[in-house]
Amino acid sequence: MPLLYPLVLAAVLFGIGVYGVLARRNAVLMLLGVELMLNAVNLNLVAFDAWLGDEIHTGQSLTLFTIAIAAAEIGLGLAIILALFRAVRTIDVDQVGAQS
Amino acid sequence: MNRWAYVLLTAALTAVVALWAIPYVGDSTADTHVWVEGNSLLGVSLAVHIDSLAAQVLLLAVGIGLLVQIYSTAYLQHHPRYRSYALVIILFLLGMIAVVVADDFFVLLIGWEVMGLCSYLLIGHEWETPEARAGAAKAFLMTRVADLGLLVGIIVIGQTYGTYRISEVLAQDPKNVTAIGLLLLVAVVGKSAQFPLHTWLPDAMPGPTPITALIHAATMVAAGVYLVARLLPIFEASQLVMTALAIIAAITMLLAALCALAQTDLKRALAWSTVSQLAFMFAALSMGDRDAGTDHLLSHGAFKALLFLGCGCLMHAVGSSALSAMGGLRKAMPVTFLSMTIGFAALAGFIPTVGFFTKDSVLAALEHGAKGDAAVPASVGSIVFYVALATTFVTAVYAARLWLTAFFGPAKEGHEAPRAMLGPVVVLAIATFALSIGQPFHLGFGLISTGVAVLATAVVVYAWSDRGGELDIDAPLLTREFDLDAPFTRWIPAATREAARLVVVVDRDGVDAYPDGGAAGAQLTSRALELVQSRNVQRYATVMTVGVIALVAAGVIWT
Repeated sequence: MPLLYPLVLAAVLFGIGVYGVLARRNAVLMLLGVELMLNAVNLNLVAFDAWLGDEIHTGQSLTLFTIAIAAAEIGLGLAIILALFRAVRTIDVDQVGAQS
Repeated sequence: MNRWAYVLLTAALTAVVALWAIPYVGDSTADTHVWVEGNSLLGVSLAVHIDSLAAQVLLLAVGIGLLVQIYSTAYLQHHPRYRSYALVIILFLLGMIAVVVADDFFVLLIGWEVMGLCSYLLIGHEWETPEARAGAAKAFLMTRVADLGLLVGIIVIGQTYGTYRISEVLAQDPKNVTAIGLLLLVAVVGKSAQFPLHTWLPDAMPGPTPITALIHAATMVAAGVYLVARLLPIFEASQLVMTALAIIAAITMLLAALCALAQTDLKRALAWSTVSQLAFMFAALSMGDRDAGTDHLLSHGAFKALLFLGCGCLMHAVGSSALSAMGGLRKAMPVTFLSMTIGFAALAGFIPTVGFFTKDSVLAALEHGAKGDAAVPASVGSIVFYVALATTFVTAVYAARLWLTAFFGPAKEGHEAPRAMLGPVVVLAIATFALSIGQPFHLGFGLISTGVAVLATAVVVYAWSDRGGELDIDAPLLTREFDLDAPFTRWIPAATREAARLVVVVDRDGVDAYPDGGAAGAQLTSRALELVQSRNVQRYATVMTVGVIALVAAGVIWT
């Protein structure tokens, strides 16, 4: 399979993630955008790993790290959002800024 | 009573110097003794050179210094700052001794500057009065600027002759004399108050009168004469320098004598007289006659110190140095009257006072120059000679005028000064005769100058009786002192102020443009960037992202 397909897919995913982070006002959906960007990077890593034919699969192992960190990060992010919601009864980031 | 402790200190100094110097007086030997040879650690040689002239000037300085200390015990009896006054006099004497006997140019320079500093401190001793402060600052600044000539001259001497030892320099053939001579001339003209740097001396009169007698009549102002006499071989080698010296002396002597004629203040008149008499010494030196110049230095030191100290006695009696406050004091103050009569006679040149003999020596020296036997051209020599004759006449006139105004006419209240003041005056009056012993006598000039003095006195006495006993001279130009102070009090300050304004303009409009522009630019930039600061995190993140994408795109396209 040519390298181009996964790269284009990863770029599209990354773009969607960036758009989500920049355009959404809902904190959960912003986290979702971050998650999309991370996974686009994972896709890149795996694609390059396969394309280079790396003996020790650096890309894949780095992907595992990223997945683990992303899981921890999403847990932490959701916890913060929950605390935020309990504090100000909303998760709309604009309103949070206006109320503080 | 501890005022006498300073007298004892001065007396000890005087005794030491006298023991050392007296054997050399009138002796043709000259001794050079090196205490410390100059090396890389100490750049100057501590060496002394003493000969007959140096010994005489030393004795004059310490002698008058001692008399002035004694005189001051009474004159400044109740002054709160007596200690500093008395000690600065001693410091001054040490500076004078250094100048007279130093055999290293830098030691001479140090002594020269110490004298200038002490002069400043003592003129401004009564700094409560604005005149004293102004006079002190003026004297210091004018002499100090002129002293730069000495400093540069010394450096040029060192570069030319390869040594800073005076005796070694004089032993070599004169080289580079015009530059050195002119530089030293600037210093000498400043220190000895010659035209055009003479205006500080009359303005130094607010200082205590004993100080005027010591510093501004007998010693410091004569140090310039001494320096020229000491380095005469260097000066003589350049016709230009000697001619300049002769012309300066001629201008100064007549101008100062005329100024002295019109003064309404006894002390200031004596100051102008000092300027005039110093010019006499320089005139003799400019004809290459060292002895005539230095003899007049010594005799003038004695009789002018006498006149100033006598003037102090008069001030003590009438409370002011204005001539209008004096008159008819010969009855009330007989000792002062007699002493000052001797002093004025010496100034006017009556036989047998020392002033008569030394002035005739000067005139004889000038006649030599007029015949063309000197370094200066004969034409210059004859001009100086006739100017000196005219000055002799004017000198006798103002001496007679001051004498009549102070001591004759309607009697004013007065009392004789205390003994501590009269003693020094009487000693100096005796010295005015005693110094005459062994002076050369010129018969022709003796007749001429006696005639001139008698004529002048007769003129003054006639005018005095004719005008009913008042001798005020109404000559605005003379009372304004020829406006020669204008450059120093008006033009130079005005020029300085204008230059300062110009510098301000350049600084404000030229130099400051760069920092101001930088600041304005930074302000404009931050105003522009302020538009972007929307406090909207999303917008920031968008801009960042777009920026990153743009950078990556640029990197991809232009690699």
